[in-house]
Amino acid sequence: MTTARQELTEAERRATFTRDALPYLDALYSAALRYTRNPADAEDLVQETYTKAYAKFHQYQPGTNLKAWLYRILGNTYINSYRARQRRPVEVSADAGGESDFSLYDRIAGSTHAPAEAEVLSRLTDDEVKQALAELPEAFRMAVYLADVEGFRYAEIADIMGTPVGTVMSRLHRGRARLHEALYHYARERGLLGPEARSGAPEDPDPGAQKT
Amino acid sequence: MREPCRKVLSELDAFLDGECGPSLDEAVRRHLRECSPCLDRADFQRELRTLIASKCKDAAPSGLLDRVMDNLTDR
Repeated sequence: MTTARQELTEAERRATFTRDALPYLDALYSAALRYTRNPADAEDLVQETYTKAYAKFHQYQPGTNLKAWLYRILGNTYINSYRARQRRPVEVSADAGGESDFSLYDRIAGSTHAPAEAEVLSRLTDDEVKQALAELPEAFRMAVYLADVEGFRYAEIADIMGTPVGTVMSRLHRGRARLHEALYHYARERGLLGPEARSGAPEDPDPGAQKT
Repeated sequence: MREPCRKVLSELDAFLDGECGPSLDEAVRRHLRECSPCLDRADFQRELRTLIASKCKDAAPSGLLDRVMDNLTDR
């Protein structure tokens, strides 16, 4: 499709948009739900995104990444019309503290009686993982979502979020660490892990412990 | 932890994201072929991402597609 959008008739434009953009409905809805954390707002956000995208479809450069273009409109729409009236309290600034060196691998490997590392996590439910992601501050949540769920490149995420690539990398790093930490706590609450070992301590530091 | 392992693990995220550039990418691959503790960590991180991705997708509610389509005609 090399024809400039301006030269398309209304019917062709609609057909092209329907064919190329509408298949991203589920993906955009998932992203909208991660942004708004509320199904009704997510539906409205997706609808508004598509309406805007269709209105400026002539600005889309054929051959460039349509999915990223749609996500950028979704993100801008969210910031301009939804974020102000979010039902949840304002979050701490994304660049505020928080542990950034949490290693889920070490924590799980450090639990006694833990089954194979990643297998533990596969027993977490979809709702638990979504909840853990929902609890992250927005900037971390979206960076992790766009990279780990949608598979966008750093440069695309920077473009969608309107930030430098370096900021994306730091948000990703810290967002992942926090998400992994939250998953660890869910797994622990659910009893999926054995008793916690003392981090970095030698094996069995308690001489009075019973051996079986 | 050995120095080569420390270096590789500091680049592991960028490596798994396919963002560390061809020469570093090759160096990390070479290290992972020879170092099973690092390979275990890399595999764990890979599985973790797959798992998170598979559990964070939602299907749009039925009817949303129709409402989106209707909006396109109405303008």
